[in-house]
Amino acid sequence: MSSKKIAILYGSETGNAQDFATILSHKLQRLHFAHTISPIAEYHTADILKCKYLFILCSTTGQGELPRNALGDKSSLWQFLKKKHLPSDFLSHCQVALFGLGDSSYPKFNYAVRKLHQRMVVQLGAREIFDRLEADEQSMAGSNKGTGAGVESVYFEYEKRILDFLKEKFPRRKLKNGDVVDRDEIDPEIYIEPSSYLTLADGGDETEVEISFKGDTSMESGKIIKNKRITDEEHFQDVRQFVFSNDNGIEDRYSPGDTAAIYSCNTDVAVQQFLEVQSHWLEVADKPLRFTNGVPNHLKDGGIVQPLTIRNLLKYHCDIMSIPRTSFFMKTWAFATDVTRMERGQEQLDDQREKLKEFAYDQDMQELYDYCNRPRRSILEVMDDFLSVRLPWKYMLDYLPLIKPRYYSISSGPNDPNIELTIAIVKYRTILRKIRKGVCTDYIAHLKEGDHLRYKIQHNNLVRDNYHGRPMILVSPGVGIAPLMSIVKAKLSEDINFFFGCRFKDKDYLYQNLLEEWEKEKRIKLHPVFSRDRENSPDTKYVQDVLWKLGPEMTNLIVKENAIMCLCGASGKMPVQVRLTFIEMLKKWGDFSSDDEARKYLKQMEREDRYLQETW
Amino acid sequence: MSTPKIGLLLIHPAVTTTPELVEDVKNNAPKRNIKIVNQFLINKVNDGSIKLKVNEYNVIHYLTPEEPEKILFPKKLIPVLKNALKDNGLLYGLSDKYKIDALVNGFEIKTTEGDDFYHWVKKPDTDAKKTVAVPLKSSGDAEKKTTTAKLPSFKKASDSKALPTFKKALPTFNKKKVAETKVHVAEDDLDDLDDEEEEDSVFSDSSKARFLDDLDDEDSIEEDDLIEGRDDNGNITMIVCGKSNTKKKKACKDCSCGIKEEEEQEIDNIRSQQDNVVKFTEDELTEIDFTIDGKKIGGCGSCSLGDAFRCTGCPYLGLPAFKPGEAINLNSISDDL
Repeated sequence: MSSKKIAILYGSETGNAQDFATILSHKLQRLHFAHTISPIAEYHTADILKCKYLFILCSTTGQGELPRNALGDKSSLWQFLKKKHLPSDFLSHCQVALFGLGDSSYPKFNYAVRKLHQRMVVQLGAREIFDRLEADEQSMAGSNKGTGAGVESVYFEYEKRILDFLKEKFPRRKLKNGDVVDRDEIDPEIYIEPSSYLTLADGGDETEVEISFKGDTSMESGKIIKNKRITDEEHFQDVRQFVFSNDNGIEDRYSPGDTAAIYSCNTDVAVQQFLEVQSHWLEVADKPLRFTNGVPNHLKDGGIVQPLTIRNLLKYHCDIMSIPRTSFFMKTWAFATDVTRMERGQEQLDDQREKLKEFAYDQDMQELYDYCNRPRRSILEVMDDFLSVRLPWKYMLDYLPLIKPRYYSISSGPNDPNIELTIAIVKYRTILRKIRKGVCTDYIAHLKEGDHLRYKIQHNNLVRDNYHGRPMILVSPGVGIAPLMSIVKAKLSEDINFFFGCRFKDKDYLYQNLLEEWEKEKRIKLHPVFSRDRENSPDTKYVQDVLWKLGPEMTNLIVKENAIMCLCGASGKMPVQVRLTFIEMLKKWGDFSSDDEARKYLKQMEREDRYLQETW
Repeated sequence: MSTPKIGLLLIHPAVTTTPELVEDVKNNAPKRNIKIVNQFLINKVNDGSIKLKVNEYNVIHYLTPEEPEKILFPKKLIPVLKNALKDNGLLYGLSDKYKIDALVNGFEIKTTEGDDFYHWVKKPDTDAKKTVAVPLKSSGDAEKKTTTAKLPSFKKASDSKALPTFKKALPTFNKKKVAETKVHVAEDDLDDLDDEEEEDSVFSDSSKARFLDDLDDEDSIEEDDLIEGRDDNGNITMIVCGKSNTKKKKACKDCSCGIKEEEEQEIDNIRSQQDNVVKFTEDELTEIDFTIDGKKIGGCGSCSLGDAFRCTGCPYLGLPAFKPGEAINLNSISDDL
C-alpha cells in the first residue's frame, strides 16, 4: 500500500524519531490513507513533485546536525533541496507539517528541523499546515516548554492535528469497485498485513548450508587479526584494540576521520531462547522460506541472509535484544491470544492483553518507560514475561526491528593494509538481574582471531587537502583518541600538540607506549591528563584544564600560525566545556576584547574547517 | 398549469463572449416550465459575496463559454450548489471532468438523451451505503422506464462478528484451541485522494521536473546559513497539556548533580534484594512454593507475574516471570551472575 501523495519522512539517530514516524504511519494505515514512509535520505527524490502532503519528523544530533539517515548522498532529497538554482516556489505544491525532536541541554536546540523549515518553507515555498512543533527531552524549551510533559505529548499533538486535517479533508474514500464510503478506522485488534511477508519455500531443512548474504554488493567481509584488551583488567571499562583485514585481499582506502560500520548478529543462545518462547516456531525454524512479494525495502542494506530461515533471520537481522518501542507493541499486542500458557487462565490472559495494549496506545507512555526503557529490557525478555503472546512468524520482519550497523572511527593510518578500531565494550547494570550489554560491542567482544565479520567503510571527508604542513592541536578524552591516532599516523603535520584525557595513568591510558614513543621521536608534543589520578595529574583534571594551562602557546598557534583544532570524543558536556575554554583563551591571549568577537572568530574557524568536532 | 420550477442561472464572467448561451436558456425556460428567479456571476458566489439559499432551486444552469472537457470549476462550490438545489433538482453545465465530485457530493449523472442534455441530479439524502435506490422519472415522457430496485445490502464477511450457528459445542478435551488474530489485507484503493480546490491554473509538474535533471555538482547553500538571522521565538506550536506530568527525572549523560548516584544506589538496593531470592533458589529445590513462604513475599500475589505486574517493593523485581512453585529459570542469566 504505497502512495506518493502522502509521505512521512524521518531523520533519526537513535530511533526515537523513527518510532514516532512509525506510529503516525500506523495511524494513517488504520484510516486507509495510503502513503510512503522512509528515512529522509532514502526517499526517491523525484517523488517530491508528486507529494502533496508531507510530514517530516526529524531529530537534531551532534552539533546541530541532521541525522545520518537524513543527510544521504549527493542525489538524496536534502542534498537536492539545498541546490542554489531551485526557484522559490519549488515546493509550492506541497503542504507540510514539521516535528522536531531535540534536547535543550545541548546548545543547538532543534537546529535540524529549523534548517528544514527555513529551506523548505521559507525559501522554497512549501505551505505549513500548522506551525511546526519542537519537542524537548528536558521539557524546558520548545513546544513542551514548562509543561513538564515529555516529547511524546508533543508528538501526540502533532499526530492529532495531522489526523484531524486529513479526516476533514478526506472524510470518505473510494473502494476498488467504485463505491464511496465513510472513512472508518480499522479496528486496532486487526493486524494490517504487510505487502510482502514470509512463506515456506520448497526444499528440506537448511542446517548445513553455509551462511551468505545476498543483495548488497557494497558489503565487505573481514578477518579478525587482533582483538586485545588495552585497559587494565581491574579497570571498569574494557577497551579493545580491534584489527581486521579485508577477506578479498583488497586494501581498503581510507583517510583519517573515516569510520567502519560493523554489522553484528545475535548469539545462538539468544536465538534459541526466542525460539523456545515462541515454541510454535521451532518446528519450522530451519525450513527454507521465501517472500510472497519480493524483498522488503528496509532489508536492502547489508543484504539478506541465505539460506532464508527463521533461525537465520533471528540471528542476523532481527534485533530481539533491543528495547521494544511503542510501534512494536502497536503491531503485536493483539497476538496475545494463548490462554494455554496462562497459569491463571483467562483472567491472566486478559490482564496481559490489556497491559500490552496500554503499552501500545497510552499517550502518557510512563508505564512503557518504567517497564522497558528505564531497566533497558529487551524484546526477548518481554516475550518471556508475556507468554500469552503467540507471534506469527510470517510477519516477523514487519514487527521486529532490524539490527542496525554501528559506526566506529578508524584508528589505523591510511597506509595500513589493515583496519584498526578502538572500541569500548558496553556493559552496565540496571535493576534487571541480567547485565546489560551493547548488541554490537558484545558481538565484537567475543570475536576471536580468524573469525569473520561484515563491514563497510564510510568516507566522512574530515581531513581537507590544505591541512598538510599546518600545526595541529588534537584533543581527545577516552576512545575519542581513535581518529586522532589516524591523523598522526597519516603524517599530515610536523607540529602536533596532542591532548589526551582518561581516568588513571596505569589503568586506561590508551596506546601509552605508542604515544610516548612518538613523543620521543618528536612527532608530537604529548599532554596527557588523568581525571581521577591525583598522583599523576595533581593540578589538572580534564583536557580543557591542560589547554588552559598552555593557553598562551596554543592561542598563538591558532591566531598567528593558522593551526587546526580537532576535538573528538563523547558528545554532551565535554565539547561544550572545551569550546567555552577555547573562547576564554581567545579572549585572554588572542586579543579579542569581547565574548562576541571571540565567538565570531570561532565561527569563522568552523567555516574554514579549522575547528573540527567529531563527537558521538 | 403545474407549479413552475424555480431556476437559477450561474454565469461565468467570460460568457459575455457568447451571450447567446444565456439567451437560449432564458428563451427556453417557459417551454420547460422553469421560472428563472436569480442570475448571478459565479465568481461572486465563489468569493462569498453572494450566498445561495439552501433548498431553493429545482434547476441550476451553469453557463460558461468553455468546452465541457476544459471547464475549470471550483470544486468547493459543488456541495454549495447541491445544497441550493431541492431534492431531485437538476444541475446543468458541468461535465464528466468533475464526475467524481458529482458522485462524492450525492449527485447522479444523466447523459444526454434526445432533447435532454447532460446534467446532474441531486439525490435525496438517504443512507446511501446500504441500498441503491433508483428514482423514478416522474415527468412521464418517452423516457426509459427504470425500476426502483432496492439492492440487497451486503456486508463483507470479514466484518461479521457472528459465527455460523450450526456448529456443535466443541468437545471439552480439546484444549489446544487458541484464538486467532484477525488480519486485514490492504485494498489497492487509496491512491486517489480527491484533489483539493485548484481554481488557479494547475501547476505544471513538468516545469518543476527539469530541476531534477541538474544533479551534477551545482552550488549548494550552506546549512549554517539557514540558521543565521532566524528569529525562532515565535511560530512554533505550543502544546497545552492539561495534566501536570511530573515524571521522575532521569540522570543526564554527564550528570554532576547527584541524580546518577541516587539511581545507582537504587539499583544496588534492588539487586541485593534479589540476592535473597536468587540464593534461595539455588539452595532449595523446585517443590517449594515461593508465593506461600512467609519470607518477605508480598501479599498481593503478583510476584510470579513478571515486572509489568509487580509492585514497586516486590523482592522479585528485576527477575523474570516464573511459575509459582518452580525455581526461577536462571538459564538465561546464569552466565552473568
